[in-house]
Amino acid sequence: MKGSTNKYLLIALLVGLAFHGTSIFFTLETTYDALIHLFFADHYANSWFEPWNYKWYTGFTVTSYPPLVHQSIGILSLIGGLKFGLFTVALLSIVLFITGVYRFSLLITANRTVAGYAAILAVFSSSFVETLHIFGQLPSIIGISILMHALPEIYLWLKTGKYRYLFTSLSLIAVTVTSHHVTPIFGMVFFIFPLIGMAIMDVSREQVSSIKEITFNVFLRSFLKLFKRIVGFGMSSLVIIIGCILPYWINSKNNPITQVPIPHGSRDNFLEITSSGLVFFLIPWGILLILLPYIYYRYYSKRYVFFGLSMTILFVLGTGGTTPIPRMVLGETAFNILTLDRFTLWGSIMSLPLFGEFVYRFSEGDLKQRIQSKFGGVYHRIIGGILAGLFIFMTVFTMSLGYFRPSQPQKIKMLPIVNFLNQDDHDKWRFLTLGFGDQMAWLSAQTNALSVDGNYHSARRLPELTTRPIERLENSKYKGVAGIGSLQQFLTTPEKYNLKYIFSNDKFYDPVLYFCGWQRLRQLENGIMVWERLNVKPIPAILPKDEIPKWQKILWGVIPFLTVIIAFMLNIQILWIRMLKTNLKTPPVYLAFKNTYASFSKNLLRVTHIWSIALAILVFYGIYLFYIKNDAQRSPENAIVAYYDALDFKEFEKAYALIDTKNNLSIAQYMLEISVTDGLLSSYAKLDNIHTIITRNSDSLVTAKVITDWITPLEKIHKEEYRTVIKRNGKWLLQHYDLDTDIPPDQLYASNTSRYFNQGRRRVTTEQTHHEDVLKQPVLEVLSAKLVQYDTHYAIVGEVQNLESVPADIVLKGTLYNDANKELATYNAKHHVKHKLMPKEVSSFRIDFEGIAWSKTKDSIPKAFNPDEFTPIEFEEQPTKFNLQVAGNVSGSDLYKEASLSAISIDSKTITGSVFNSGIEEITVPQLLITYYDKDKTLLWVDHLFIKEGIRQQRQQTFRYPLLKEASMRVVNDSMENIFVNGLPNEGISNKIVPDRIQNHTDAQLQKIEHPDYEYIKIEINSYIGNPN
Amino acid sequence: MKYKQHIFLFIAILIATISTGQEKDQGNSIGLLTSQTEFEVGSTVLLQFSSAEAVTPLLYCSNSYGSTVITPVLEETTLNYEIPDFIANKSGLVHWKLIHNNPTSGSFVMSPQQHVATMETYIGPPTIEAGDIDYTMLVVIPTDALDNPMPEGTPVMVHHRFLDTQTEEEIETKKIISYKNISSRRKSGRLFIAAECLETHSTEYTVDVLPAIPTDFTISVDRPHEYADGNQITSFYTSILRDAHANIVSDGTFVTFFIRNKAGNVLKASGTTVQGIATAKMIHPDQEEQWTVQAYVDGMAESNTISIAYQQVVENVEIAFAKANREIQVGPLKSFMNQMIPDGFQVVLEVYKDNVLLETYTKTSRKGYVSFSLEEAIFKNDTYTFTIKTAGLEKNLPNIKLW
Repeated sequence: MKGSTNKYLLIALLVGLAFHGTSIFFTLETTYDALIHLFFADHYANSWFEPWNYKWYTGFTVTSYPPLVHQSIGILSLIGGLKFGLFTVALLSIVLFITGVYRFSLLITANRTVAGYAAILAVFSSSFVETLHIFGQLPSIIGISILMHALPEIYLWLKTGKYRYLFTSLSLIAVTVTSHHVTPIFGMVFFIFPLIGMAIMDVSREQVSSIKEITFNVFLRSFLKLFKRIVGFGMSSLVIIIGCILPYWINSKNNPITQVPIPHGSRDNFLEITSSGLVFFLIPWGILLILLPYIYYRYYSKRYVFFGLSMTILFVLGTGGTTPIPRMVLGETAFNILTLDRFTLWGSIMSLPLFGEFVYRFSEGDLKQRIQSKFGGVYHRIIGGILAGLFIFMTVFTMSLGYFRPSQPQKIKMLPIVNFLNQDDHDKWRFLTLGFGDQMAWLSAQTNALSVDGNYHSARRLPELTTRPIERLENSKYKGVAGIGSLQQFLTTPEKYNLKYIFSNDKFYDPVLYFCGWQRLRQLENGIMVWERLNVKPIPAILPKDEIPKWQKILWGVIPFLTVIIAFMLNIQILWIRMLKTNLKTPPVYLAFKNTYASFSKNLLRVTHIWSIALAILVFYGIYLFYIKNDAQRSPENAIVAYYDALDFKEFEKAYALIDTKNNLSIAQYMLEISVTDGLLSSYAKLDNIHTIITRNSDSLVTAKVITDWITPLEKIHKEEYRTVIKRNGKWLLQHYDLDTDIPPDQLYASNTSRYFNQGRRRVTTEQTHHEDVLKQPVLEVLSAKLVQYDTHYAIVGEVQNLESVPADIVLKGTLYNDANKELATYNAKHHVKHKLMPKEVSSFRIDFEGIAWSKTKDSIPKAFNPDEFTPIEFEEQPTKFNLQVAGNVSGSDLYKEASLSAISIDSKTITGSVFNSGIEEITVPQLLITYYDKDKTLLWVDHLFIKEGIRQQRQQTFRYPLLKEASMRVVNDSMENIFVNGLPNEGISNKIVPDRIQNHTDAQLQKIEHPDYEYIKIEINSYIGNPN
Repeated sequence: MKYKQHIFLFIAILIATISTGQEKDQGNSIGLLTSQTEFEVGSTVLLQFSSAEAVTPLLYCSNSYGSTVITPVLEETTLNYEIPDFIANKSGLVHWKLIHNNPTSGSFVMSPQQHVATMETYIGPPTIEAGDIDYTMLVVIPTDALDNPMPEGTPVMVHHRFLDTQTEEEIETKKIISYKNISSRRKSGRLFIAAECLETHSTEYTVDVLPAIPTDFTISVDRPHEYADGNQITSFYTSILRDAHANIVSDGTFVTFFIRNKAGNVLKASGTTVQGIATAKMIHPDQEEQWTVQAYVDGMAESNTISIAYQQVVENVEIAFAKANREIQVGPLKSFMNQMIPDGFQVVLEVYKDNVLLETYTKTSRKGYVSFSLEEAIFKNDTYTFTIKTAGLEKNLPNIKLW
């Protein structure tokens, strides 16, 4: 095909491989997608022909993603491991991309030098760098690269009508579709249609003497002439696209994506959310933005006019939610499913040939001459320097983005987790990771254990997940309350999913784990905390799966590689044979349509100049706005926002710089004060929203009402406080709060408590249950239980006591029935119970029946919601009976009971009081359980309050609890008939262990309140210790 | 139609064949030679039959594990049927039947070996409650080398030791197992249990007899001084909690102390027992108090009621204004020896305007003083009413002008 080796292409390949080939080892594993592909590859490496994967989402099928790239990594992993496969395929993709751009550019420009320039530029183009090093979208890169390889073949088929080209182009389309399904579909529209247009244009050109003479009639005639070839190609490529990944299409039809759309940055309004604008618009376009006038000018010339149209559409679609156009063009559904960044990627790739052309003309062509003659040689060099500098800056900036703003948590050593799962049958249960980012895919690839979570959201099946706009449970804290809410459902009823172990890399989730009844097992050597839940059954030996016909499995396993082999034979082999045998070099026909590059348009140069200046002004204005907004001490608002942000991100030194230090507050003192505050708000909250109202504005003193919303793992906290901001030396500074000056009486004191240790297996054996080592399940007694209706909300409330001599972990599971004994709902107790009871301790409990949130009306998902928000289940029929199953298991952890209620005062609306910590641990999150009784001291309702601040040793913390609002309250059923403890009837236990129970023993000690519905309350304290000594 | 005809034809041929076979064998008699009807498992079991003719009928043989047919070995006129291991190794009744036109049938018994090889022993629950109700159950299954249970009535010795008394008792196997319910004792402690059968001994098993539910107890109080300084800590102790049989209750037993104060509100502290004594701690109140304390183990036991009094320490609240009345200093707050009250004493300032509560500020003392400063931005220049609350005292400061 080539007469002599194109030295530019050679340089592009060498530099590209050296540059990307070395840097992928530092970037690829921290990208968003690479590890997911690795997980899929691991699947194929282990079961090539079985598309069902049990490891994620209680099972899903890998036919939901085109297999070629995954299978290639899988095959290569058999030689040198999964990562070897990944990097090899990545290197291949780099080569394919560079050569693809070269061939595409050659097709467009018909100039080898220009194509060579384009290839070199492609190596450093910011969109390619971003797609590879930040997003890690290997299939997408390979797809578009192969498509670019296919374009010349398609052109040749249309132009010459030789069947050889039809076959080569179809073979390449087949490879494209097996590596990425979206690329050929949209590529058809955005690349191939314009290409067809160009081919028709060229055919027309040959019939007339100059390009200007091509009229619509001539064009139409040429079109009719080529019609058969176009339709032939179109039809056969359609067959290829459908046929090659037929199981994918069948799966898409059978399991349509019916999930709530997951927000994606590429759909944001880029002017509002500037970070999305940066990542999905500025970076991929990069320096091309300056050249837009040139690119449009060239693409809207007659020959390329269809490319011009395509470019325009791609550009507009790529702007996401900035303008309403993409939403209108794509329609609501497609807009919410597609990630729009791909349009920008394609647009920028489509621009590459012309970028090459521009650079060619600028560095050695007519543009150089024009600039030099008009502005002089120095100007040309300066402009060249600026452009080159900007280009390289964009590349370096994009590469470094992953370093400065890591998209992933620190790399986690997986071996300790893999070992843990392999030990002691831990992989007989499902696990969940928290705060792992996309590294969870890498963990899943390395272990046989199954997870309830997953990292490929299109394949999710559980309604608990598909009804939430979250990608993974794993990073639910970033998804606001929808995420936490979804996570809470999994944490509350883990036995439904056989979920027993949680690996937590983020302390943020600790309180919710504790209050949902989980306990810490131990910290692994890589710092990951393992949490476990008792009373969860192992995964059944046989799991359900969606079987697909054998022919589909074979098709899925065989076709992708077959397409590669065929494409290889057709494209490379034939080429070689031809060259060796005949040594004949006929240049491809598209090389006939050369551009002269004789004189660069004056107007275009002018427009480009104006455009560049406008762009520069825009950029500087943007930077100025950014500065104004972020200069922390320019205005009191900025100072407050910066201070709270600094606190949110725990940048205490930065926060200290914003504090007025006139009253001798040293940084040491400030840090000390910070270090002694613990609690839900200061240790586990993420700032969600901040709003300041400046109540008075004197020149140097301002009092601001600061309204903040914080998301904590347990609930949303709304806080309003006044801060005084002072201007000193032109800088706004916040006044520091007064510290609680309380001094505890004892310097050193002792506390005696019983601690427990369960040996587990006393003998080192893999025997499953050595009966001597099995502890007796603690006997519990349900003292009272009733089904009540509070407003529209059904719940089972009551009290449970641990009768055993050992501490117990308790799990309460309630089921509701109607009169016809039809089961209506089942759920576990969440926050409203002390999950760990000492011997003879009593806890009130409430079991709520949560529905799967928003599963009914998808459109009514609130925009901002609250972790504590409760979606009562919608009952089709009235629940009238209930069944309560209580299970006890011996547990020695989280038994801190040394919190006292030290003061209380009650008015008609609120209870205020304080909790005193008399023990030797710091209480991180104190919880009050408030039980309401009527005038006959009958238990009616259980409520809770999380105290926002922690309580240090021998100190008090005040609380304020608003009493329950008036609402209809009805006891539906108070029969104690269907209550079972460890599977045995409650009544029998009661009679055996406490035959002479003093009924309603502590009723005399209930607290009286003034409330229209209730007469008495009882307050119990449950404490979460974040850092046990 | 044709199908039916075929079936008919097939059945007809079948009947013809069977009947001809019967005719042919008629008159031959086969008799059992083996007289032994009981064999020990593991031995070779050979059933011999005399046979006049050279026919070799199959022997159908079945026990509770399954059935089989055995092909004989013909030695002159004797048919030898060797029973396969899977039947001969299992104890129990074996039925046999000769598949012959003159069906002969019979049975023999496989008896277990008279030597115990293993003893499967189970005991549970591993913990029981002291008293007369609870018990644990020991199950012993002595088996021979081929895993056959011992015959009915095989004696098994059960030894158990509790505190200083050791007893042994003979039980017999019945329907494969032997078992014994071991009753709880009134004292708490550890039961050691072992079993023995035909000279074979089990390992040691233990069952813990845990104390039963507690009975009523008394409580006492200990405090560094009797003043309501809001700083020191009062400890409440129970007497040693014991169950009805005078056993000290298990460590960790949860005791709740209810404290009813002068206002009739209920404060609460809790403790868990160590060697029967539960301790709960409560910070001193910051004003004169009369506490009535009673402790409970819910539904099971309660204590006596004690009452303790705390004396007021802060007798007088002094207030000073400064900086355009915008700085309000409260103090000195003095304690029982006229020393400055320990840091952290709470003072509340309420700001009213026209009897409407505008703001409540809560601060803690440092070196006996608390100062509040009222921001101009929040409180415009005007007259306000202030209320200072501390140590149960309330001081009203009407119509204070801020400027």
